[in-house]
Amino acid sequence: MNVGLIQLVTPDGCHDVSMTASELALPLSELLAHRGFPLNTRCGGRGLCAGCEVELRTGALRCLGDDTPPPAGASGRIKACQARAGAGPVTVEIPARSLQNHEPAVVSEFRINIPWARDPLVPGARVGAAVDIGTTTVALLLCDLATGKVLAEASAFNAQIRFGEDVLTRIQLCSTDPGAVARLQRVVVDETINPLLAEACNRAGIGLADVGAMTVAANTTMLHLLAGVDPTPMGVHPFRAAFLEHRQYAPRELGLRFGGDTAEVHLLPGPAAYIGADLAAGMVATGLLYDDGPALLVDVGTNGEIIAKVGDQLIGCATAAGPAFEGAGLTSGTRAVQGAIERVQLQSEPFAAKLGIIGGVAVPLGICGSAYVDFLWEARRTGILQTTGRFTDAFCVRAGDHVQRDIHGRKLRLHPRGASGPIWVSEVDIARLLQAKAAIAAGMVTLLSLLSVVPGDVKTLYLAGGFGLHLSLEHAIGCGLLPGLAVNQIQMVGNTSLGGAFLALQDRSLLDEMIAASKTMKAIELNLQPGFENAYIDHLALP
Amino acid sequence: MTTLEQLSEAVGAGKAKDAKALTQRALDEGARPGDIVDKALVPAMAEVGERFKRNEIFVPEMLIAARAMKEAMNLLEPHLVAAGITPKYTAVIGTVQGDLHDIGKNLVVVMWKGANFRVVDLGTNVPPAKFVSAIQEHRPQLVGLSALLTTTMPAMVETVRIIRTSGCPPVKVMVGGAPITQQFANEIGADGYAADAGSAVDKARALVGAA
Ligand code: B12
Ligand code: FES
Repeated sequence: MNVGLIQLVTPDGCHDVSMTASELALPLSELLAHRGFPLNTRCGGRGLCAGCEVELRTGALRCLGDDTPPPAGASGRIKACQARAGAGPVTVEIPARSLQNHEPAVVSEFRINIPWARDPLVPGARVGAAVDIGTTTVALLLCDLATGKVLAEASAFNAQIRFGEDVLTRIQLCSTDPGAVARLQRVVVDETINPLLAEACNRAGIGLADVGAMTVAANTTMLHLLAGVDPTPMGVHPFRAAFLEHRQYAPRELGLRFGGDTAEVHLLPGPAAYIGADLAAGMVATGLLYDDGPALLVDVGTNGEIIAKVGDQLIGCATAAGPAFEGAGLTSGTRAVQGAIERVQLQSEPFAAKLGIIGGVAVPLGICGSAYVDFLWEARRTGILQTTGRFTDAFCVRAGDHVQRDIHGRKLRLHPRGASGPIWVSEVDIARLLQAKAAIAAGMVTLLSLLSVVPGDVKTLYLAGGFGLHLSLEHAIGCGLLPGLAVNQIQMVGNTSLGGAFLALQDRSLLDEMIAASKTMKAIELNLQPGFENAYIDHLALP
Repeated sequence: MTTLEQLSEAVGAGKAKDAKALTQRALDEGARPGDIVDKALVPAMAEVGERFKRNEIFVPEMLIAARAMKEAMNLLEPHLVAAGITPKYTAVIGTVQGDLHDIGKNLVVVMWKGANFRVVDLGTNVPPAKFVSAIQEHRPQLVGLSALLTTTMPAMVETVRIIRTSGCPPVKVMVGGAPITQQFANEIGADGYAADAGSAVDKARALVGAA
């Protein structure tokens, strides 16, 4: 029997959600997820992020433990993970930035720089699936193993996101809840990989039984969770992984639904706890492994991995940049999805912003990473920002109501009418971006100095990851993300994790190369590098 | 402008090289080390903290200022020790076991030094027993615990518990770090929490009764 009713207001209209008596105690964020409105529960519902904020229009919500009203944040919004609906009717608005968007942008684009053979990893298989399990996004492609042709692609958010946005939150869950490993394993297999596989097979016009092989590249935590291995030791010093080596399974051992009795699943090998198989795959696909260098592979993501090669020296680190360049935790930030602003061009006098929006839609959803990179550079170029990341006083005077002040500081309006109100870039957002930028820049400078190389000597920097292939390199250099480099030294390579998985499917010798790369690469602990903290602070400023 | 005023300005603006050179110049000109701290560094860091609280500067600018302050302190500390100058209050601080992050903790160290605390920094990955023995040795009024990882928050719980039950002299415990909240601090029985190094100073002074 239904005992409660919530009226939801989302950017695309109104929806009625009814509740049963047993659901009255559920956190609102969980109830909404069950009803098809998953929120960006980045901290796993612990009240630490603002990803689940909703606005209470009418009626009353309650705290989880008692009947008092939940506290509203500075923005006047309420954290849905800390609130529950009572029996009375309520109207709740979900702003676009809190709503998890189920259309990740192109994640299957990659560049392969090496030649490969047609010597499939699983002899006899007709079709193979290559999978990249990202903490946020999972991408899959099907490949005809006889011709090497890509048959279909599919991608979706990793359903584990609702247990926490970053790997550590999921690791923490495993260390406190004995059932969590099995639950996270089932969630990624049943809710993400199996549906993606079915979707891709459907598109390719083949049956699940035709797929005879799967290769999986991912960060070490995601591989643990796929294999059902407890990642707890990776959460605290000395950050040890339970396994890094290549592993082979039968699909049904992992709950994967494809193939017949001879089908195989291969988990690719990785070098270290925080430099995973995704990077081993990338080292092979980009050809970094065969490059005498000096060469760099930089993956701008939450973990911000960097690998450097000079002669036969191969070292790598994770800079832990955080998710700012993925749009997380910023006032109007969003992932690179349909409706996201992906390019920004600015004019200071009079102020004007020219925006490029993914899919060309009229009402933007928010701003994604590549546009934040544009913004940093453009705003410096036009005298809107100081090197400290603060708006210049001169600009604030002439910008009129484009610049506004709230309790957190100043913010600049890029668009008056986005999907949930105006689109802003605040000074706090800029400070977060500068911290992420500084972590990557400092990691890069630190690795290079260990090899006695200066950025100008780098022959090739392979830029992989989140930005896909759509970033302006001039602006990435100009805002100090890749200090000391020039455009002609950089090659954008896209999702090389998927690219490497795709290669391993077709050429078994490349799996051996990934194993060798993982063994050879030496992981550098940045916290033990005396120069890192200084470099981090140096790179906080804008050039 | 006097050398001390220039020094104060250099620290506030985060000019590390100038701060070092001006500290040396002040010493050469015969300024007393204690005065350099009281008249240049303490007001400079107080100003930085105030501007941070008013949202006029953010973490990046604060880190840059703190680095300048650190340069000055590195030069001064041997002189202060030689002159027998010891601040009235002592604090012990460290990053809890399992965690290696220390940039934020180092910032708190500088701000506390800037507020004229003697600070004993135990570094990172500090086991509870090490906190206890440092408390016994240095008799601080205040202990600061830092954790930056979701997964090391339990180590913070454990450290507070062990400090409380170890029978070491009574001490106020303050916690901080990006994933820590006031609510968490209350739950684990800490005496204080600060979200940033600016408010960490006010909180620390209040806890030791100096405010
Ligand atoms: C720099 C950094 C590192 C450096 C640390 C260098 C060092 N010497 O500290 C390196 C690269 C080594 C590192 C490693 C790791 N990191 Co790290 N790191 C960061 C980063 C980029 C910045 C942290 C920082 O210094 N901020 C600046 C300071 C000034 O802020 P703060 O620390 O919050 O401190 C302020 C307050 O919290 C408070 N405060 C802090 N301590 C205290 C104490 C007291 C008593 C008080 C009152 C106040 C207080 O005052 C400070 C000043 O205002 C963050 C992401 C980000 N952008 O924030 C990730 C981050 C903290 N790291 C993270 C992770 C996961 C790791 C790793 C485990 C894995 C990895 N990805 O590499 C490893 C650990 C392995 C290892 N070997 O250490 C995650 C944690 C996620 C989570 N949910 O817990 C973060 C959030 C990034 C992310 N989203 O993935 N990291
Ligand atoms: S605050 Fe609700 S999920 Fe993070």
